[in-house]
Amino acid sequence: MSDLKPITALGGAVSRAQSFGALSIVENSGLALASLALRDGMTPPIPMGLTLPGPGGWTTGGDVAAFWTGPGQWMIEAEGKAEEDFAAALAAQVPGGFVTEQTDGWVAFEISSAAGEGPIRRLMEKVVNVDVAGFAPGCATRTGLEHMSVFLIRRAEDRLAIIGMRTLAASLWHALETAATRLQDHPAA
Amino acid sequence: MTRLNGGLIDRSQTLSFSFDGKSYRGHPGDTLASALLANDQRLVGRSFKYHRPRGVISAGSEEPNALVELRNGARQEPNTRATVTELFEGLVANSQNHMGRLEFDLLAVNDWLAPFFAAGFYYKTFMWPKAFWEKLYEPAIRRAAGLGSLSLQPDPDAYDKGFLHCDLLVIGGGAAGLAAALTAARSGAQVILVDEDFRLGGRLLAESHALNDAPAVGWIAGVEAEFATLPNLRVMRRTTVFGAYDHGIFGAVERVSDHLATPGKRVRQTLWRITTKHSILAAGATERHIPFANNDRPGVMLAGAMRAYANRWAVSAAQRVAIFTNNNDGHRTACDLVAKGVDIAGVIDTRSDAKSLGAYPLYAGAVVSNSRGRLGLRKIEVTRNGQTQWLSCGALGVSGGWNPNVHLSSHHRGRPVWSEALQAFVPGIGGPPGLSVAGAALGQGSTQAALISGAEAARDALVDLGIPATLPVLPHAEDAPQTLQSYWHVPGKPRAWVDFQNDVTVKDITLAHQENMRPVEHLKRWTTLGMATDQGKTANVTALAVMAELTGKSIPETGTTMFRPPYTGVSLSVLGGGDSGEDFRPRRLTPTHDWAAAQGAVFVEAGPWMRAQYYPRAGETHWRQSVDREVLATRAGVGLCDVTTLGKVDVQGADAGEFLNRIYANGMKTLQVGRVRYGLMLREDGFAYDDGTCARLGEDHYVVTTTTAQAGAIYRHLEFARQCLWPELEVHLISTTDAWAQIAVAGPKSRALLEQVVDDFDLSNAGFPFMACAGLTVCNGLRARLFRISFSGELAYEIAVPARYGTALMARLVALGKDLGATPYGTEALGVLRIEKGHAAGNELNGQTTAQMLGMGRMVSTKKDSVGAVMSRREGLVGETRVLVGLQPLDPSLPVVAGAHLFAEGAAPKTETDQGWITSACFSPHVGSAIGLGFLADGAARIGEVVVAANPLERQSVKLRVVPPHFVDPEGGRLRV
Repeated sequence: MSDLKPITALGGAVSRAQSFGALSIVENSGLALASLALRDGMTPPIPMGLTLPGPGGWTTGGDVAAFWTGPGQWMIEAEGKAEEDFAAALAAQVPGGFVTEQTDGWVAFEISSAAGEGPIRRLMEKVVNVDVAGFAPGCATRTGLEHMSVFLIRRAEDRLAIIGMRTLAASLWHALETAATRLQDHPAA
Repeated sequence: MTRLNGGLIDRSQTLSFSFDGKSYRGHPGDTLASALLANDQRLVGRSFKYHRPRGVISAGSEEPNALVELRNGARQEPNTRATVTELFEGLVANSQNHMGRLEFDLLAVNDWLAPFFAAGFYYKTFMWPKAFWEKLYEPAIRRAAGLGSLSLQPDPDAYDKGFLHCDLLVIGGGAAGLAAALTAARSGAQVILVDEDFRLGGRLLAESHALNDAPAVGWIAGVEAEFATLPNLRVMRRTTVFGAYDHGIFGAVERVSDHLATPGKRVRQTLWRITTKHSILAAGATERHIPFANNDRPGVMLAGAMRAYANRWAVSAAQRVAIFTNNNDGHRTACDLVAKGVDIAGVIDTRSDAKSLGAYPLYAGAVVSNSRGRLGLRKIEVTRNGQTQWLSCGALGVSGGWNPNVHLSSHHRGRPVWSEALQAFVPGIGGPPGLSVAGAALGQGSTQAALISGAEAARDALVDLGIPATLPVLPHAEDAPQTLQSYWHVPGKPRAWVDFQNDVTVKDITLAHQENMRPVEHLKRWTTLGMATDQGKTANVTALAVMAELTGKSIPETGTTMFRPPYTGVSLSVLGGGDSGEDFRPRRLTPTHDWAAAQGAVFVEAGPWMRAQYYPRAGETHWRQSVDREVLATRAGVGLCDVTTLGKVDVQGADAGEFLNRIYANGMKTLQVGRVRYGLMLREDGFAYDDGTCARLGEDHYVVTTTTAQAGAIYRHLEFARQCLWPELEVHLISTTDAWAQIAVAGPKSRALLEQVVDDFDLSNAGFPFMACAGLTVCNGLRARLFRISFSGELAYEIAVPARYGTALMARLVALGKDLGATPYGTEALGVLRIEKGHAAGNELNGQTTAQMLGMGRMVSTKKDSVGAVMSRREGLVGETRVLVGLQPLDPSLPVVAGAHLFAEGAAPKTETDQGWITSACFSPHVGSAIGLGFLADGAARIGEVVVAANPLERQSVKLRVVPPHFVDPEGGRLRV
């Protein structure tokens, strides 16, 4: 184990977490990410027991999950494994596949609602041009948010993950914090 | 007070407000216009050009006259329509566009000078002397022009934006819109109902007609109660749909807190982008007036507005009122006013067969031919059969028929069509796809017809979407036929206003006709008709009719001007989205950003990035001192720079080598695993695109680095090549720019420093030579990548670790390197180091330069094809003689300025004698003077020659000696030690 101390994408020693009324936003710095691309003609594997989803989809199986990023391409998530060589572990599961370490390329914000799906829906309306009614649990997409490219994952009715570029973490936090604060001040707005 | 009984105002509460410093009172439910009228304040402003006294004309968003400066201090907003401003406690409004008091406007002198101010006045008058335009005419005209004034302070409020999606968007919450929304929402479809008013109902609120023999507000309340129970319906009040855009997207502004004194924690307004599968325009209609002599006095109003003020706001503009009409709608106003106890001086109807519908004097077959009253209407002149008589009245309601609000249906170049039966333009074909029109906007003027057409439009739209819907039971309502005589203006000599806001009269249109400005687009621009903030909503059709009459053409032959968004004014603040200052746009921060800030670094914007520019130390008072120190410390010991911003693209696949061979101008397939090669990419047109290094980490695994500036463009270029040019190649691309913190460790002591952090790794020159790369671990087990590459010309490395460890590694290197003189350096020193070494960067790769110009012509391989290779050999490029050279001033105290152009000594500095330009320049502490890089004609053959750098902007001309572009270690020995 290295004697260097990491910092989170937002620059803290620990992940940032903040509540805005029913909504809470948590910086998930423990999430390991690795992308997987298949060789031509390769049968889709089942890495770590995970059935890889089709376009627009996200599947989860315990601590690992996957979302579709392009034809024959997925991003694999592993909760709490940021400090492990997750890319190597994934590569071992998918012989012949192309795996790229992505943990540090991104910042993941886990957004949850203590009041059902309403606050999630209203937050999404303010930050992304995605039809909320058609973005059910199990959906994932890539879209723009304040001119930044992000992945959105609807993990549950009351949970949404927004994964953005790590170097833009502060700007992404600002955007989400602004929107969530306004919803807290005026929930019906 | 001219308050009537009834109305939809809350008399149990009183609101105080001020207008021009005078205090007034109104009630919740009032608009500023209704409250001013209730306080007998008919005069509310001055006209744009002639500074004529003006009053309220309409009761809606079409208002051309009643524009005020609302609020004060930083929130002061000019040109705010009093007719749609909800009254709130403490509201402050001021009249605008006058010099001195509103009642005694000194600029009203313009009205006396009106004969000189006819249409085209400016175009014709200020032609000469030419020199006077910029200094005299334009400033004077600008001072006099415009209506309200700006606070010139930053907007203190927050603005928001959002995105909505639905099956059906209903625009307008009047009879047709409510019926449409009810029909659609009951079907279960996702529906959004938008209305610009603060209360649903539209004209239903302004009329006295019953629905099912009961007041309309009862039916509206029932509908609203049902709406509240339907989760699939979103009702948006105080929201204006201002434009129809591509792919079923509509722009809308929600005035979240415009009706409050201050927004508090709320945003002021929200810009919504609504994506819908189908839309129904139920925006109603706008009444038109009939121009007659001096028809612009305060108290002259639209008859429908007069009725709205009476029924909804319990206000009459005067105790004694007259009506001028060409249809039965004017009589409706008279009847409602009579019922409210207002004295009717008479109904003047252009139709000779008109019948009285109530207890008021009727002047059938008559017109209003003039008016009197300096600051407000006192008398009207009625002409019948050549006989004139004057009637006393304080207000006149004018009704010339109704124009359907076809605006949104005419976006996307849709053209409205003329209905002879209605004497109005109705929605035509070619408008926004998926938009249907209902109610008065379609020309369905009666309440019953509006209700039915709204419900049917919704049902039809849902059927198209495959959603079954049934028509609701609709209330019985009035269904009177439209009875209108085509009558467009009262002939006469004095001025008769058509466009009140821009002061365009019938005379101006006549003059336009005389001057051959006959096509409507010419008419509009020459007279400025319809070009004010109201966009001529009450004027345009009337003006077309007048022009048609003059040309002898029909109105449809005359045509309409183009309809474009926005329907009503939209503030730039809400379009801007709200964030300002450092949050104005997203900023990319490097992994060591906070560390650099803690060291006192000065930052510079580099595209979206914030980069440390230099690190000032105590005692350094000028940036050059810091930069010189950083450069010298790097050349003497070791310097550290965060170079994470360079683009990094992970390239994997069986055909990755072949792919890169086609991307780079030089060969890349032969690169050995564990080695790095400098690479040059060309554009398709043969010009240089970008440069950088390519490292081969494994058999099928490469990492391409790009310049910071071109990282996004090159990634896009690679993806295009992969997906579109050569889909048969098995290649996968991943941008890993953010994933790795990369630190340049440069200088003769860089190896000594790195040896202290690597874990069991041979850094010797033999074990890890120049242009080697490897995966390794550092600081006891942290995954890292090491590249022996140099941008500075010194022995140098770039070390990459997972981004979250960037700060820790940087701090560790600085701490361990203390005895070696380890010095963090910023982008300024980075630039000096690379100019001294003669490395090309963005300034040299500006899209106008070729490999040959950069001295890399032989890098473009002839043994294989690559993007741009063939085009780089075309005649025009091969014949180019300008090449990269170094430049040094003969007098070391003189500057070298990037952008200066190069000329032979003694040549006049002009385009014909131009021999090149300086791309990059800096002060070189190594050389002891300013130095530069530049492209010079026949440069390679002119080493030692003296040229002149001309900088006409600063009137500088400096003699420079042409030298090789490498000021430091031209043999490259330092790189390989």
